[in-house]
Amino acid sequence: MKMRTALLSAFVVALVLIVLLVSLREYYVAIALTVGAVILTRRELWYMMKKRKLPPFDERVRENMKKSARNGFIFFAAASAALMLFYTIDLVYVANRHPVQIMSGLFLAGGLVYLLSYVFYDRVEPKLGEKEVRRLKSFLQVAGIAAGACIASFILHNVASGLLGIEEPVFFVIAVILSPGAIAVGLIGSLVIFARGLVRKQLPSERVSQGDVVPE
Amino acid sequence: MKTRIKEYRTKYNLTQERLAELVGVRRETIIFLEQGRYNPSLRLAYNVAKALKTTVDEIFIFDE
Repeated sequence: MKMRTALLSAFVVALVLIVLLVSLREYYVAIALTVGAVILTRRELWYMMKKRKLPPFDERVRENMKKSARNGFIFFAAASAALMLFYTIDLVYVANRHPVQIMSGLFLAGGLVYLLSYVFYDRVEPKLGEKEVRRLKSFLQVAGIAAGACIASFILHNVASGLLGIEEPVFFVIAVILSPGAIAVGLIGSLVIFARGLVRKQLPSERVSQGDVVPE
Repeated sequence: MKTRIKEYRTKYNLTQERLAELVGVRRETIIFLEQGRYNPSLRLAYNVAKALKTTVDEIFIFDE
């Protein structure tokens, strides 16, 4: 019952945010997010249509949901902190956006991180080999560290330039060229592995006999 | 941790889907258990063993 209430609440929140995005005329974002969520949860939706009930939420799934909620929250907190930072230094492209748009985007992005984490733990990870999981973690770490380095270099460049009175080159190159490159590499690499796991039916080594009925 | 779930499942001609239904979990959970990549609770281990008509220590082999 608790799970049903939680899912219902998530559905209502998602609906409100979608309505909000539509009212702000962000149609493409709303459509893209809706389609993405439907694609990612298609199996659950199919299960509910076929069997007229929710798929089982066993102990492993509940643990994964907790981990996903933690990931979503960490992302939300980190993104909010980064945004506040941009606000304090008055970056034009952020300041020109309506606060509701920014908050909606943040909530939706946090929700997307939750959904992707959940799909990863529940569906993708069992279909990835140990090496692939390690590689995926490395790619994600590269993207995360690069994002942090980008913000840090951005601040340090401004501080150094302000203190020295010259255009500081090292942090500028890190913030504008190296970090975005590393973020792109990390994200593309992790997306490729993630997609491979999502598409794959089962682990390559398990293909022959994992399925079903093998006579004695 | 190693498991003999697959061996017993094969013995009783059970699919992963069917075993998941019997135990009340998702098929992915059975995959994780078979690969030894998830440490189940005592309750889940007992339910799996019961569905496969054997005991917990027969199915789950812990590395010392």
